Amino acid sequence: MLEKNYLWRIYWRLAGVIMVCVVIALAVVSYFSHAVFQRELVPETEQKAATVGASVRALVLKATGYGIDFSSLYGVEQTFAEVFEENPEFAYMAITNTDGNVLFARGSEPIGARTHFRNPVVLQIAHETTEMSKAARVGEQYIVSMPINDDGKPLGVLHVGIDSKFVEHVLLEVLLDVVVVLVVSLFFTLELLNFMAGARLASGLGEFARQVERMKSGDFTATARIRANDEIGRLLRRIDSAIDHLNVRYEFLVGELQDKMRTAAGAQREALRPAAQALEQIGKRFHFGSAPEASDSDEMNLNRIRAPLFAFILAEELTRSYLPTYVNQLLVTIPGISPQVVIGLPIMLFMLIVALGQPYLGSWSERVGRRKAMLVGAMIATVGFAGTALAYNLYDLLLWRSLCALGYAMVFVAAQGYVLDRTGQQNRAQGFALFIGAIMVATVCGPSIGGILADNIGFRMSFGVSAVMALLSILAIARLPTVEIRPVTTKATRAPRMREVMALVMNKRFMTLTGLAAMPAKIILTGVCFYLVPLYIVSIGNTSTMAGRMLMVYAVMMVLIVPLSASLSDATMRRDRYVSVGLIISGMSGLLLLLSDSFLVLFGVVFLLGLGQALSIAAQSALVAEHCQEEIRIYGHDAVYGVYRLLERLGNALGPLIASLLVVLWGYQGAFIALSALVLFCGVAFTIATRGSDWEPAPAR
Amino acid sequence: MARTFLALIVLVVMLAADGDARAQLSSRPYRIYAITFRGMTDVEKGFQDYFAARRIPVQITFRDLNRDNTRMPGFLEEIRRTKPDLVYTWGTGVTLGVAGTYDNVDPQVHITDIPIVFTLVAAPVLAKVVRDLKNPGRNVTGVFHVAPTETQIRAMASYRPFKSIGILYTPTEQNSVVVVEEVREVSKRLGFSVIAKPLKLDANKKVTSEGAPEMVRELKQQNVEWLYLPPDTYLGTQAKSIIIPAAMAAGIPTFASTEQLMEAGALTGLVSRYHAIGQFTAYKAEQILVNKVPPAKIPVETLTRFALQVRMDVAEQLKLPPPLPMFNYAELITAKPEPPAPIPPAPTK
Amino acid sequence: MGTIRVRFITVALVVSFFAVGMAAFLNYFKYKSTISGIVKSRVLVIGRNIENSVQASLSVGMQFMEIGTMNALLAREKASDRLIRGIDVFDHTGQVLYSTDRGRVGEKVLVGWTDAAARSKSTEWSLEGDEEYVAGISLKNNFDLTVGYLALRYSSEEVQRAAKVAGREILLAAVLSFVGIALIAPLALIVVIRRFERDLRTLETAAGHLEDRTEQPATTGSAFDGAIGNLRSSLRDANASLDELRAKLDAAAPR
Repeated sequence: MLEKNYLWRIYWRLAGVIMVCVVIALAVVSYFSHAVFQRELVPETEQKAATVGASVRALVLKATGYGIDFSSLYGVEQTFAEVFEENPEFAYMAITNTDGNVLFARGSEPIGARTHFRNPVVLQIAHETTEMSKAARVGEQYIVSMPINDDGKPLGVLHVGIDSKFVEHVLLEVLLDVVVVLVVSLFFTLELLNFMAGARLASGLGEFARQVERMKSGDFTATARIRANDEIGRLLRRIDSAIDHLNVRYEFLVGELQDKMRTAAGAQREALRPAAQALEQIGKRFHFGSAPEASDSDEMNLNRIRAPLFAFILAEELTRSYLPTYVNQLLVTIPGISPQVVIGLPIMLFMLIVALGQPYLGSWSERVGRRKAMLVGAMIATVGFAGTALAYNLYDLLLWRSLCALGYAMVFVAAQGYVLDRTGQQNRAQGFALFIGAIMVATVCGPSIGGILADNIGFRMSFGVSAVMALLSILAIARLPTVEIRPVTTKATRAPRMREVMALVMNKRFMTLTGLAAMPAKIILTGVCFYLVPLYIVSIGNTSTMAGRMLMVYAVMMVLIVPLSASLSDATMRRDRYVSVGLIISGMSGLLLLLSDSFLVLFGVVFLLGLGQALSIAAQSALVAEHCQEEIRIYGHDAVYGVYRLLERLGNALGPLIASLLVVLWGYQGAFIALSALVLFCGVAFTIATRGSDWEPAPAR
Repeated sequence: MARTFLALIVLVVMLAADGDARAQLSSRPYRIYAITFRGMTDVEKGFQDYFAARRIPVQITFRDLNRDNTRMPGFLEEIRRTKPDLVYTWGTGVTLGVAGTYDNVDPQVHITDIPIVFTLVAAPVLAKVVRDLKNPGRNVTGVFHVAPTETQIRAMASYRPFKSIGILYTPTEQNSVVVVEEVREVSKRLGFSVIAKPLKLDANKKVTSEGAPEMVRELKQQNVEWLYLPPDTYLGTQAKSIIIPAAMAAGIPTFASTEQLMEAGALTGLVSRYHAIGQFTAYKAEQILVNKVPPAKIPVETLTRFALQVRMDVAEQLKLPPPLPMFNYAELITAKPEPPAPIPPAPTK
Repeated sequence: MGTIRVRFITVALVVSFFAVGMAAFLNYFKYKSTISGIVKSRVLVIGRNIENSVQASLSVGMQFMEIGTMNALLAREKASDRLIRGIDVFDHTGQVLYSTDRGRVGEKVLVGWTDAAARSKSTEWSLEGDEEYVAGISLKNNFDLTVGYLALRYSSEEVQRAAKVAGREILLAAVLSFVGIALIAPLALIVVIRRFERDLRTLETAAGHLEDRTEQPATTGSAFDGAIGNLRSSLRDANASLDELRAKLDAAAPR
């Protein structure tokens, strides 16, 4: 559609300009920060150099105390090397004698050091008997010098050189986080553009496009709508008025004709015949009059779900990168259960509640109304987040997390219902793209920002941020239209019955798809992304921020690949092949850890996992409709999909459990590898099972 | 459902806490039957000190073999009669006397039903006390006292790096032969050469120190940088009078693998402090008595940190002062036998 | 100024507020963690000195609880850095065994200390209170069993003062650059928006002249040319048909 693309071009251009501005601003902030860092950190580091130096000096004096000649000390450089290892900001250390000649040195000597050491002022230091040190800038280093004085007998001077570049290194470490902020900003920009201007613009332009189409097909029926008071609104009003004029003119002509027909007789009537025929022609080609009261701009209301959903999901996603580490901190030993498994408990419980709750919450939200259901859900989750932030130990944490899960399930289901209610057959896909889009952007922004927050302001405060985010989503939900749309055609959704679950679980075709593709995909997702990555990263001495970056890589892959594979899977390749390839790629991800255990390899793992999941995710659920037509005929569409979703979500809950058990058995790396191998196996099995002609896609209906 | 689960967990925790409290209440001291080989040593002091420091009530019955193996059956009989909670055995001989080798246990003779903790067994696997250090697999565990060969080699290198070392050893002592083999293994990995010379045997196939000084001089000519003294019983008796003086004359630094060799005048060496060994043995005993871990599952280990000793007078003679970082952790032995101050006063003012 | 323009600029401001805010936040916390890291490692250097001495005592067979020279050692090391307020040594139950403040001996340390020490993966641990920071070292014996903990309490003032100064300046920088953005961004955005607005205006103008019977105006190069053309032609078609009807009606009119 021309208008959509047009709008996106505008968005990207706007986002580009905004990004350029943001980059400039970030550069300015960094520049100022550098000045502050330099000014404040250097004296502090000099102090530290003095303390470290004093410790080295004490060692030297201990050695000379045993009668070893000062100039024939052995292994001084080795001591220096040990100092460098502990203090990377020190670049050079040297001991000179009282003449300023270097006896021992290690590291990169700054230009002008030799002259500096012979400077009478510096040499005078050797004769000091107090605990003192002097700092001076020499070349690229700050040199801190202190006396080595054995009970009044000057031996020499100890110099410690601080690399002036260390400040830059410190700032460079921030840079990676700043890049993450940039990426997140970009997504925020697009999301906000869509929220603040886009929803109206898009619906306005869409309306315009439809109007054009309508008129092209000869439909000039007047629509009685309230137009927004903006550019597009004005434009639409212009068109409306043109149509109105046309209608008035038509009415007038018709009236005149009818009038004349009524009064005319005989030849008169004959003379009017061409006009009447023309009118008939017009009636065939065009439609005039007033259009039936259209449902009030559904598309716009549909768009309005995006912001609150985004805000709410973001609250949960923020916690992804550090939740297990937080649980680890609150850990209470439960006899008989390995702590590794206990850490996975809150995630498992969360997923389980979401999985089991969704079918029931669906019909509940239908009864109480989507908006109200979302409000209640968001409130419960807000309490849950606040409680998690203040959790005393693992036990109440489990309770708070359950509240979060309940709220999450409510909002998720209700938002889904909201979209369902407002979309028809033809725009349902578009509606869900919007729904998934909001969630995906939240998964990009959430974990990375959450990791940064957790590392800097602590886990509890970060959960506080999530609570605030959930609270904000309440405000956004409150702004949703209060009028509920109840499509009469669809019957009330219901939870799948036990009988149906049993029947489907025993069904080979259904289970090939669910048990070999859908569930393993979810198991590896939650097992790796929500459990293993955050814990493993921290266990090898890295930070939650790094875990957040990893999860962001995954999410970015999803955002980039899913739309691509969704459109491709219809066209080029059989859907089940996409699922096969996706599963096999996911299954290979963890095997990368066989090569090396560096955290860089972990980036590769999440990259492949993201790629694999993205390839298969869109095709998976479509396959259900494609391959289980027989089952759908027997049990009904809702039941089949209900059971499918239920099992898929149980996979979500199983992920952390399986991963934690694997960690107990084989450690983190082993768990990564084993989990991947499992998925790889399922992928291969799925490929073999779907090979037959039985699995040829059904002809298009 | 979550609530039920929660309640269940709370219940389990309460039960566990209750059990803990009961253990605290029991004040009956643990009874330990200890057999030493040559009277009380620092090991026993460390053993007792550990229990005292941890406030674990123990009642230890000490019995000394006094180098006389004929006393053993009497001790075993007493053990059977008094049924102590744990048996402590000092050295390889005593340990084998009480527990037997793993492939030759006679339940009529050896103690099998009472946990045995041994100490000061130099090579538990070689002596067939246990099959696998990590997993003893029988009702026996304990502590050995010789630092792993690689640790010793690394300690030597940290004093002065080398490309070649010499070893003198007794070819008839299996223990020494094994260590020499281990040194060769390590040399392949770390990249240095080993020149190992077996001591000569006399007409009666008995080892003799004859020709040892010449061998040391030969080693010097072959450019060895260190003389490594393996845990060798015969060598230990000859070190002070013959071998170390020869090395000093040739200007080769000596590295001692045992405290005895260190006392004989070696420059430096990595030794286990008997007191620490005793404490570690007590720690193993605590695992069995208090934590109720079966001995079969407690690994046989040695200390993770050994005492690096340096004779400063020897260092001065050889003009090889210890490297500066070593002053932080080494135990520096000065010529005059003054006890090293545990916390040397900081020389700074 | 159109409402769309206002909305776009608002987006730009919100996003840059977020980005600049996050950058300032990151820089501030990096600064704070760096400076507290520097100070902590300085304190730990002194801690290592003490640890070495304790190790020496332990390895000659002294009991951890009976190191007679410990208090003197702690006092001397405390004096070597004005930052240090006190040094304590406590056991795994949290009971203080040695301290530079004699009054603390026998008392229990805060539970947080033992927790922090127990949680740490290395032998070092630390804790940041409001008034005092604590840096600690777990003291291990010859077989890796932790026999006690060394805790160096030091004033948080130095770190907090430095953080306050830096925080203020980073905040200032952030505010300045945000103000800068607030001035530049609208200008830059207008360039992009203008094109969009021009398109919309063209559309609006075109829509305003939809009913003109004049020939199609010259194409404006806007993305909507096609749509406008369509609109116009549809309208023209309809009008033409109505014209025809009119004509036929007129033709039939009795003269």
